[in-house]
Amino acid sequence: MAVKFFGQFLIEQGAINHLSLLKAISLQEETNRKIGAVVYEMEMMSQVNIAKVHQSQRNADTRFGDKAVEMGFLTHEQLQQALVRQRNSHIYIGEALVKVGALSKEGLERYLLKFKEDQKPYAVEKVEIPKGISNQEIWEMVADLTKKMLVRVADISFRPGPCQIIDNLPSRTMVAEIGFSGSVSARYLLTSSQNSRNFIARAILQEDDIEHEPIAILDDSVMEFINIVCGNIAAKAAQSGFQINISPPKTHQQSEHGIAVPEKHTGLMFPIYLSDGEVFELAIFVKDDPL
Amino acid sequence: MKKVIIVDDSIAVARQLEKIINSCDDFYVVAQGRNGAEAIKLYRQENPDIVCMDMNMPVMDGLSALRSLCMAWPEVNVVMITSLGGVGDKYSEAIKLGARDVIGKPFDAESVIKTLQRIA
Repeated sequence: MAVKFFGQFLIEQGAINHLSLLKAISLQEETNRKIGAVVYEMEMMSQVNIAKVHQSQRNADTRFGDKAVEMGFLTHEQLQQALVRQRNSHIYIGEALVKVGALSKEGLERYLLKFKEDQKPYAVEKVEIPKGISNQEIWEMVADLTKKMLVRVADISFRPGPCQIIDNLPSRTMVAEIGFSGSVSARYLLTSSQNSRNFIARAILQEDDIEHEPIAILDDSVMEFINIVCGNIAAKAAQSGFQINISPPKTHQQSEHGIAVPEKHTGLMFPIYLSDGEVFELAIFVKDDPL
Repeated sequence: MKKVIIVDDSIAVARQLEKIINSCDDFYVVAQGRNGAEAIKLYRQENPDIVCMDMNMPVMDGLSALRSLCMAWPEVNVVMITSLGGVGDKYSEAIKLGARDVIGKPFDAESVIKTLQRIA
């Protein structure tokens, strides 16, 4: 009932064991080189300049290739050539499992089809994101998976509204937040109305009667819900080659003025309308790319 | 009956897990912790048969705690129960460090009990 990676699925199916998976991962680690190693091998960059890019990456959430272009060590064309070389030599976990003898080619094909079927409920559907926002595919994934998990995990029926750019997130009963770092830098926020918080708490606590639960437990349930959503977003993003690290969740209590989008960030808001007329929101405060 | 400790910063999840584990005659929960540092302290105090631990926690995350537990007590049985179970790098790091299994969130009672019975 969650986004999985292929190796995990195979273990759950009893097709391989943990030892075979570790052998295949070791083979992947030996074979799949980082882009810095590829540009060095292609004599496009020196070790000194590679180290300078790595140093500079410590202060920014930018990929190696983009940073190297920004710093003038690579041209766009060179980066493209290196990415093609990297892609052509890349082996996926399924191929690695065949190479270490843990799975036959026929078995791989059969389990890939089963895996595709298993993960169908989490295929990302189109969500309109305003033009000019970088990493659109990630924000589409974030919005779509949040909506899917509101239905599947919290059992909430709702009507999604279109994405809006905002300066301020409206005040609600509570707001739960998780930070994203790695391939992107952003804050993920889910506001809650009283009803949506109750729906989520019932699902997380797996109890129908939550009337006597303290507010702290209800808030904790919403934090755990966004932890589940964001963990699954990180898993889905990893399938597309993005690395997203998530922080532990935290809450903001109701404030008169809501939450302002910080400077050098763009606020994306996705309203979620409940059938009883209440509304709550998913918001993403995306850190702007440095010019 | 085997002793289990639960380590998760979410009180709601810990409560749900405790209910599932205590519903099985083979196991009982002896203590709960809220972060990785508490996991180490509780392991020393309670000497449990199994540790069920989250990854994404404040103070000390689950993977750091797993590393410390496996170094100090190589025989420790840790099951990671985490929303990051579907991230290949995190899953394989947990197994490499010595976790006996990784369960993704959201989880169901059956998969939790089956996993504990397999490793106990």
